Amino acid sequence: MDILKKSFKKSIWVFHLSTAACNNCDIEVLELLTPKYDVERFGIKLVGSPRHADALLVCGSVNAHAKPRLLEVYRQTSKPCLVVAFGSCGCSSGIFRDSYSIVGPLDKVLKEVDPDAKIVYIPGCPPKPEAMIEGIVMGLGAI
Amino acid sequence: MSKEVMKDLKKKLGKKIIDMVQPRSNRIYIRVEPEKAPGVVEYLFSKYKCKLCTATGIDMREGIEMIYHLAREDKNILINVKTLIPYSKLEMDSIGKKIPAFRWIEREINEMLGVEFKGHPDMRRLLLADSFPKGKYPLRKDFKHSDVTDEDYDYERSGI
Repeated sequence: MDILKKSFKKSIWVFHLSTAACNNCDIEVLELLTPKYDVERFGIKLVGSPRHADALLVCGSVNAHAKPRLLEVYRQTSKPCLVVAFGSCGCSSGIFRDSYSIVGPLDKVLKEVDPDAKIVYIPGCPPKPEAMIEGIVMGLGAI
Repeated sequence: MSKEVMKDLKKKLGKKIIDMVQPRSNRIYIRVEPEKAPGVVEYLFSKYKCKLCTATGIDMREGIEMIYHLAREDKNILINVKTLIPYSKLEMDSIGKKIPAFRWIEREINEMLGVEFKGHPDMRRLLLADSFPKGKYPLRKDFKHSDVTDEDYDYERSGI
């Protein structure tokens, strides 16, 4: 457990992945970086590669086209990796649950390949920025 | 204005169509057989200077009804060419073969409703995932969400 504590003690780098989201959550993630909320003061930073990321921020109900891509990105992250299921769609596939192209929700897809995946749920359509910050902090506390 | 158009079209297309009605002053419905539909639409598009708004397909239980929505802007009139393709023979000649504007909408109707367009130059998937099972058509009335589960997908074809 010591390694876990050490690896999540400093800045959390986040890779943002959109799996068939409607873009609303993606825009709200950008809100976190604006001066009002400015998550970079906590060291939370968006990075361009999953290989650099401590946490994976996944928006959107997972559809069949995105599923192999999501799993590939998850495979490339260094473990342990915190996964954040973002918004109503990320938590439960939302209103798209019974659509023909949806194979999600996210936790079902991830638990198939990695039963020990650490997933934090942030509901909301889209979630408020305060909720996002709290969700990530809670996730770190759980680890 | 639309009466002129009706008269004109009746003269030109008289033998090819089943009937022609005018529900409103700026609207004309033309019903044709599936074999005649490409000819009628091509005539309206190329010779009669109509523009393609879109084409739609509806599952009418006894078959798929294709509607081509064409607009003649200078006469302010919308012409809908309707044709019912029976389930026993779900195919018609492709209009996209000659007119490129029809190609994408025919690809979409092919994957969503299963109408085969003969002679279409590029019949790849447009909206559905490449891994979606073949022979399932999500916009048909008898399609249920449970018809396609995660096991039916062929993820080998998804390009990862």
